Amino acid sequence: MNVREPLYLEDKLEEIERSGKLSYRSQKLPTWCPGCGYFSIEEGVSKAMTRLALDQTNTVCVSGIGCASRFPFFMNTYGFHSLHGRALPVATGIKVANDDLTVIVVGGDGDAFAIGGAHIPHAARRNVDITYILFDNGIYGLTKGQTSPTSIVGFKTTTTPYCNIDQPLNPLMMLLSYGASWVAQAYAGEPHHLTRMIEAAIAHRGFSYLHVLSPCVTFDKTSNTYQNLNMKVRPLPDDHDASDFSAAMTEAQNNARPQIGVYFTSQRPTLGDGLNDVAKRAATIA
Amino acid sequence: MVKIGKHKTDIQIAICGSAGDGTIAAGDILKQAMAKAGYNVIAFDIYPPEIRGFGKCVARARITSEQVYSLKSESDALVSLNDSHAIAHVQEVGRYGAVIYEDTPISDIAEGAHISSHLAPAHLPYGVAFREISERVTGSARSRNIVAVGYLAGLYDMPVEAFHHVITQKFATKSQALADSVLDGFNAGYHIGANTFHLHFDRIGTSRGKGKQSDLVMMSGNAAVARGCMDAEIDAFFGYPITPATTIMETLAHEMPKRGARMLQTEDEISAIAATIGAGYAGARAATATSGPGLALMSEMMGLGVMAEVPIVAFISQRGGPSTGLPTKTEQSDLNLAVFGVAGDGQRIILAPTNVEGCYKCAGKAFEMAEKYQTPVVVLLDLYLSNRYEAVELPKKNPFAKNCSKPITQKTNQSSYKRFKLTNDGISPRAIPGDEACMHTVTGLEHDEQGRPSDHPVMHQTMSEKRHKKLLGAVNHRGITISKRFGDKRKVDVGILGWGSTFGEILEAMIEARKEGIRCSAMKVVMLSPLPLKPINAFFDDCGEVLVPELNYEAQFASLIVGATGRQVHRLNRVTGSPMRVREILAEIRRLADKAQMIAAQ
Repeated sequence: MNVREPLYLEDKLEEIERSGKLSYRSQKLPTWCPGCGYFSIEEGVSKAMTRLALDQTNTVCVSGIGCASRFPFFMNTYGFHSLHGRALPVATGIKVANDDLTVIVVGGDGDAFAIGGAHIPHAARRNVDITYILFDNGIYGLTKGQTSPTSIVGFKTTTTPYCNIDQPLNPLMMLLSYGASWVAQAYAGEPHHLTRMIEAAIAHRGFSYLHVLSPCVTFDKTSNTYQNLNMKVRPLPDDHDASDFSAAMTEAQNNARPQIGVYFTSQRPTLGDGLNDVAKRAATIA
Repeated sequence: MVKIGKHKTDIQIAICGSAGDGTIAAGDILKQAMAKAGYNVIAFDIYPPEIRGFGKCVARARITSEQVYSLKSESDALVSLNDSHAIAHVQEVGRYGAVIYEDTPISDIAEGAHISSHLAPAHLPYGVAFREISERVTGSARSRNIVAVGYLAGLYDMPVEAFHHVITQKFATKSQALADSVLDGFNAGYHIGANTFHLHFDRIGTSRGKGKQSDLVMMSGNAAVARGCMDAEIDAFFGYPITPATTIMETLAHEMPKRGARMLQTEDEISAIAATIGAGYAGARAATATSGPGLALMSEMMGLGVMAEVPIVAFISQRGGPSTGLPTKTEQSDLNLAVFGVAGDGQRIILAPTNVEGCYKCAGKAFEMAEKYQTPVVVLLDLYLSNRYEAVELPKKNPFAKNCSKPITQKTNQSSYKRFKLTNDGISPRAIPGDEACMHTVTGLEHDEQGRPSDHPVMHQTMSEKRHKKLLGAVNHRGITISKRFGDKRKVDVGILGWGSTFGEILEAMIEARKEGIRCSAMKVVMLSPLPLKPINAFFDDCGEVLVPELNYEAQFASLIVGATGRQVHRLNRVTGSPMRVREILAEIRRLADKAQMIAAQ
């Protein structure tokens, strides 16, 4: 029988400290439930920031309201925990004021697609140079388990005790059609892939949208569980061409069998570029 | 009545037409030219919410060599570009006032449809073939409004060069041919006006020349706001179009990029203020502008600004309400929303200028206050103030201070910086993203000194006190009038307490009342929150009776004052969509003066 080497806490802590990722974590421990998929997202963000050697002083994490939106408190960067649904316009304001800052916006499915739905197309079409990480657990966690815009039909929650009758949205198709210049999907149960996706999302110049499927272990025992998602989630086809918009739309259609990877990427001027251009034009007239 | 005499001028002209007649454009040329010539001008236009259609437009301009504060109740001349609308305004023309209209053969129109059949015996009629002259001289009837302006200028012997200058400037950007054609139309009208037989009213006298003539700028309230923003070196502006605030955004869209500042039209009012708060948090001087319905949408964000202590400025130009209300009519009914409209105890600074010069001052000072007290500052305007033109003299030296933030004096390290540090004055040293070793997260949740969420009972009590205490210094902020008393000193029979655009009418009424021998004085309150209670209470101590005239139905300012002072006031409320009439205020002053006298006699 193969006896495993014992794991000592001190050794593990030293290893974590040596990795440098802790410098991106705040003193405050996350308040999420044990087993929540959001832990792996935070781990992914810390690792990606370490790899990219981001300067915390010039990084701002912006969020709205919800379980996911508590994220900025757990990071050792500047942070703005704003209002329900309004993270994107707040982040837009921050970028307009100071284009040199790295801005990471986080939020949940309700924050984004219910109350905040009107802001996503505009942040995407303006190509605001921010990274939007969407934590999708298909349920409202902070208010203890109500249906969300990405909940499946038939899902029983406290506000849909018989069944949810509303069709879920398809966020990837929405973001593609809004003109987001970088669109990808990841899964909290695939942490290494998730980290690579976060790193690429932050590195992308322009509006990058990363959709992360993440189980809510407390309020969802039937729908987006680790078990279910482990069976359903698969990678995008090897031959997927991320520069091909039509191909991205085709691959994004299948909500029932989510595929992870980069759907679409393109380069175009950001909001900051546009505003600089306006200033140049104004200066020549004046 | 026009004042007779070579050296005094006080003429009010009303031009009335249908949307699309060029009524507002005609009034614009008139007021710009007369301001250029050195007169004091107060002008205010009324227009319908539709762009064309057949809505009524009225442009009014009071041209004077005196110091005045509002339009007059009566006009001295009415120019009709559309009789069906103008007939209703004949009654605002005083005795021996002129009514100038399109010379249409009476046989061509139905009985009663022509304005000439509605004149009072003491009106002086002038029928002029504006259309025909315009067609003959410019080749189209479209310049008949310009011909009418020319006629008016000729009739009153107004300084013709100023008109030429304004017209050339206004049309030169389009094409030289157009500018020439318009000038021809003006000159043709002027020639006829100057050669019209008229004995009855005085010509325009000399201008008062307040300061040097060239220092007088004709400006609307909204333009003054934009100028104040520019002089305060605004960095970022976010807005969503809404009448009557849109012109602030339009002017800034033009001016800000020239200086490298950034302006963005957002998808709605919520995102406008959200982005403003984002920019303010990141260290920019940031502002937004909207009207009542937009402010209602912004309420939640306003609360975030208060809680997260983010400096921003919001310009709110009120219009008739509730709901969509009367988009192109004036009202002062958003005071409650501005002062009280957030969830929880969310006091912030509210400023309400009373004239165009005040718009400039309040706009710039609002940025100073927002930074100094780390709070949203609301500047409350209304349609009458936003759209009214006054000749103002702007200060030669920029009166606004840069960067008023409380600096971080102590060296901090990662764990020691406290964004919401408790201090004696309640104001904490402020770091912004990019500052070394001051990382923190701000939130709409109640929080401790470091900004971490906390619902500890002592913490909420302490932080609530901090957020309110820090505002108290604002009533002594330097370089801005917070409140001011006019008229008789010491004990008076009647005191009039006012705010916002209505204060011009209040001053005019008070001046008239004093001429009648009534002992009275008026006080304007510019800072509505926190209220300057000391001078207000002193004013109450001096006044027998206190009158509060305002353009809303619920007496919002009166209730605010009564609530804060526990004193009694007399309310005068009108919601007609138009500015308050001077004579209505005057009638109340007379009534209250009688009452005060009777009480004194008892």
